[in-house]
Amino acid sequence: MTIFFNLIRKKIGLSRIGRITFSSTFVNSLKTPTVAFPLNYTLLHDDNFIKEFEDQSLFVISDLNLLKDEVLTDHLKHANYFYRHSGTFERFEELLNQNIELFTSQSLVTIIPFNSPNVVLNKEFARAEITFFLENASKLCVNNLDIKFGPSIRTFNYPELLGLYIYFIRNNENICLIDFNDSFDYLNKFRRIGSLIIQAKEQLDNNLVIMGSGKLVPKNYPLMVYLGYDIIDCSYSSYLASEKLYDTLEYMRPLNKIKYLPCSCVACQKTQGGTLIEDKSIRKIELTCLHNLITAKNSMNKVLQYLHVEDFRSYVEKSTLDDLNSMSLLKILDKEYFSFIKNDTPVTQKNKIVKSLGPLSYFRPDFQYFRENSIKSFIPESSTKLILVFPCSAKKPYSSSKSHKKFNNILKKFADHQEFQEIILTSPLGAIPRQLEDIYPVNSYDISVTGEWDHEELKITSSMLIELLKKYDARIPIICHLEGAYCDIVRIAQKTIRNTFYFSKIEESVTSKESLKSLEYLINTCKNISKSDGVIEQISHKSNTWIKKFFKILNYQFGFDLKTYYSSDLVNIKHGRNKNEIHIIGAKNRYLIGVFRKDVGQVFLTIKGAVELKPFLEDSNFIVFDGDKIKGNTLFRPGIIEFGQKLLPNSHVIILDKEKQNVIGVGEMFVGSNFIKNSKTGRIVKVYEKLK
Amino acid sequence: MKNSSENNNPLVEKIYFLRQKALEKRTIHNKQQLNKPVSFWIKEDRLKNEIGKEFTVILRTNGCNWALSRQGGCSMCGYVQDASSIKVNDEMIINQFKIALENKRSAIEQDDHHYVLKIFNSGSFFDDSEISDCVRKEIYSYINEIDKIKEVIIESRVEYITMEKLEKIKEGLNEKKVEIGIGLESANDHVRNDYINKGLPIKDFEKIVLMSKQLDVGIKAYLLFKPPFLNEQCAIDDCANSIRYCLDLGVDTISINPINIQKGSLIEHLWYKNLYRPPWFYSLFNCLVTNISSAKLRNCRIVSDPSGAGTKRGIHNCLKKECNETMKKMLKNFVLHQDPSKLDLKNHNCECKMQYELQKDQC
Repeated sequence: MTIFFNLIRKKIGLSRIGRITFSSTFVNSLKTPTVAFPLNYTLLHDDNFIKEFEDQSLFVISDLNLLKDEVLTDHLKHANYFYRHSGTFERFEELLNQNIELFTSQSLVTIIPFNSPNVVLNKEFARAEITFFLENASKLCVNNLDIKFGPSIRTFNYPELLGLYIYFIRNNENICLIDFNDSFDYLNKFRRIGSLIIQAKEQLDNNLVIMGSGKLVPKNYPLMVYLGYDIIDCSYSSYLASEKLYDTLEYMRPLNKIKYLPCSCVACQKTQGGTLIEDKSIRKIELTCLHNLITAKNSMNKVLQYLHVEDFRSYVEKSTLDDLNSMSLLKILDKEYFSFIKNDTPVTQKNKIVKSLGPLSYFRPDFQYFRENSIKSFIPESSTKLILVFPCSAKKPYSSSKSHKKFNNILKKFADHQEFQEIILTSPLGAIPRQLEDIYPVNSYDISVTGEWDHEELKITSSMLIELLKKYDARIPIICHLEGAYCDIVRIAQKTIRNTFYFSKIEESVTSKESLKSLEYLINTCKNISKSDGVIEQISHKSNTWIKKFFKILNYQFGFDLKTYYSSDLVNIKHGRNKNEIHIIGAKNRYLIGVFRKDVGQVFLTIKGAVELKPFLEDSNFIVFDGDKIKGNTLFRPGIIEFGQKLLPNSHVIILDKEKQNVIGVGEMFVGSNFIKNSKTGRIVKVYEKLK
Repeated sequence: MKNSSENNNPLVEKIYFLRQKALEKRTIHNKQQLNKPVSFWIKEDRLKNEIGKEFTVILRTNGCNWALSRQGGCSMCGYVQDASSIKVNDEMIINQFKIALENKRSAIEQDDHHYVLKIFNSGSFFDDSEISDCVRKEIYSYINEIDKIKEVIIESRVEYITMEKLEKIKEGLNEKKVEIGIGLESANDHVRNDYINKGLPIKDFEKIVLMSKQLDVGIKAYLLFKPPFLNEQCAIDDCANSIRYCLDLGVDTISINPINIQKGSLIEHLWYKNLYRPPWFYSLFNCLVTNISSAKLRNCRIVSDPSGAGTKRGIHNCLKKECNETMKKMLKNFVLHQDPSKLDLKNHNCECKMQYELQKDQC
């Protein structure tokens, strides 16, 4: 059987872009995430439906006769189909045996139906029914090895019962997708949805396509895609139409409550019989159905736009704003499942503006990962004799803003300014060491600024500031050039940190002449306090802001401890011809160690750089390849024999030969450690330099 | 038989709990009421080979022992609510039957049509604790007094049906065609026992069918349309499978009973929670049209006289009176003429037809 699913790119949360290949010819492949549209006789013979949906590539049918219908063969010939029998398992088996040729066809995936019971009395009842279903489903899979199956998964709101399915799914290779029939039927039990999906991701092959069906409405699609659903069956939209519920995307509203049509799709346009809301004929349900399905299509298109081009997470946040259960689910994912989700979330997004929309954004996984990893990887420079705390700026990186340029001008007046550590306070990211201002998400985020900070923002920022300051000797003075709520953050930190805090006198604003003078005065006064105490190492090498940044970014990216390497003073910085790039060059041999790319906020190590840094490699970003030489530009799962346990999508890795002796390449991860652990196939590393 | 505390079956537990709650509210009947039948009526019906009339008598007994047991009874049944909590003696039952018979005797005798007599006791006619052997014997003799009654149908669970009882009924109603109605409900063991809680192994049913054939006693199999825990399409599939099974087995009559929500039953509990909807007429018609043909009906009649049809608690489409009345009429015509073409929906254009099309796969 052809490999059914290929992961193309991981996106934030559990979301992903992939490709499903129905047949070896690739003609019928389709990209995920996508919507599967219901197809019945009435829809198939509705000209408007055909016009609107003939370019769609996935439909769900429950009547095999449709596959022989002329309209289908003429207009939807490139489409793929999921067959879902909505009746009993026994009847489904009969149909399968009678139509075996159709079921083994390339463009058909067969959903194994689990329609009865449609409700359960309690968990034990559910357990018994699932066990009964699995006995039948197992026999079916074993007896029909040539058929691509997707079993229905129902847990009846008991996510722990997913465990019953695991053995069955793992042991049948003709299972290419799993169809969660009722995962969103109980959205008010949002914790259970999180638990269900994380269990599936942890325990099943990550190349299994995840499909959602049941009570799903388009406004949930962004959250579902964020949760890792690859296919969403939108049949429920047509069901709701039959109840005369009109999808405004925000709400499902009864048709009689719609006074102004918020849509101008073909179903909502004025027809001979009047508009949808005026029409009293039988067509009303048909038109509502058409409208609801178009809304489902548009909703997925919007998801795809954000997923491919914009910051998808902010769209997910927006989409949950008028649905309290979805909002709660997103919060639960951020708080309770961060340790899992962070390993599935790319470390960077290229050229994206990441808007922080409010409290829902505070704990998005990329922000949390940044806080966690920067605290963990940040090692103070031993020459630090003064710490300066500044407010953030709207322009990124901060140092390119007017305010920070002014601060920098003051600092440059001091010949030893390279021995000052700057920390920038910002919401919702926290406390940012100057050296990390160019990496994601510091280089990309944006937030509305009013000067008012809520309790959560104060807590996040002060906690991070405390963690960073704890790393320094208590005798190093801290100068705070801040005003308003920023000072409140420092005051919270003061309760824990023993260092002496000095506050510059702010008049009008932090950038006023008087304020900057006050800053200069304070620096002059404080900069030698710790030195006189013999706390600070003397630095003998020439220093440069970008060299400092480079090593801190490498620490952040690879988890190295490069303090010793840094003090050996072996590198130079050169701005590349491309303004987007900064080259880091070995001082002795003049070879290129790595290139910092501003658009992605990451250092691209060269092989020589990687060889240089290999001694510092611990349990971090490495891949052991089953061979001595890499062919091609992609490493696939079967070629990986060992890997770092904390790899994230888009993170950079050093590729070692199978003896783990030599660096044979450097690359960027397509996926994270979670995926490698839980899959047998798939692309793992995009190699950007290899040993020739 | 295991009691529920031993098997800890959640279905049995739930049914039993609901049953006990409902039984607490049961009406206590006085002596006068116990000497009268629950109900009796005459109406047009399909006889084996002709259109005739039915004379139905509903007797009040002490109720179905399966429903009163620790097993709680069937998940869709609430008839035990009508049974008497006070002992109903032999004399009372004979009085009930006599009242009904005397009331309708002249109407039947003066009628040109032949009759089928249906005696229902919301339990088992052959259960001695409900209706004793001597009461049965007396009832047979009363029936024999009326020539117009050509067929007699009684109901019983299989565990009460014995060769001896079959011989006696055959002997007692010598001139008449006898049929024993058995609630098979579904040919699928899982549906029948794990969803309906029928407690009926299929082999026991088959054994009784064979036994009755030996004595030329007919079997009328009751099939439940849309048992709990099934959606519309599952209901169609399950019933179609059961029809095929019954036809193959050679039962004489198949009676399809679409669910009606009965008080105190599990199905009522699910219905109140919005977890169950009685079937659509469209589903029943779909099932019948696609699974039976005139040829198949030569040896077996298929009947259906749904209780509560057209109401929220019974089989219904959209609750528009006009739509449901049309459906009921079509169904009646099909039963009377045993002609599936009477169920053709081409000319039925109610708005709910489209609604059903979009919902049937999901509800």
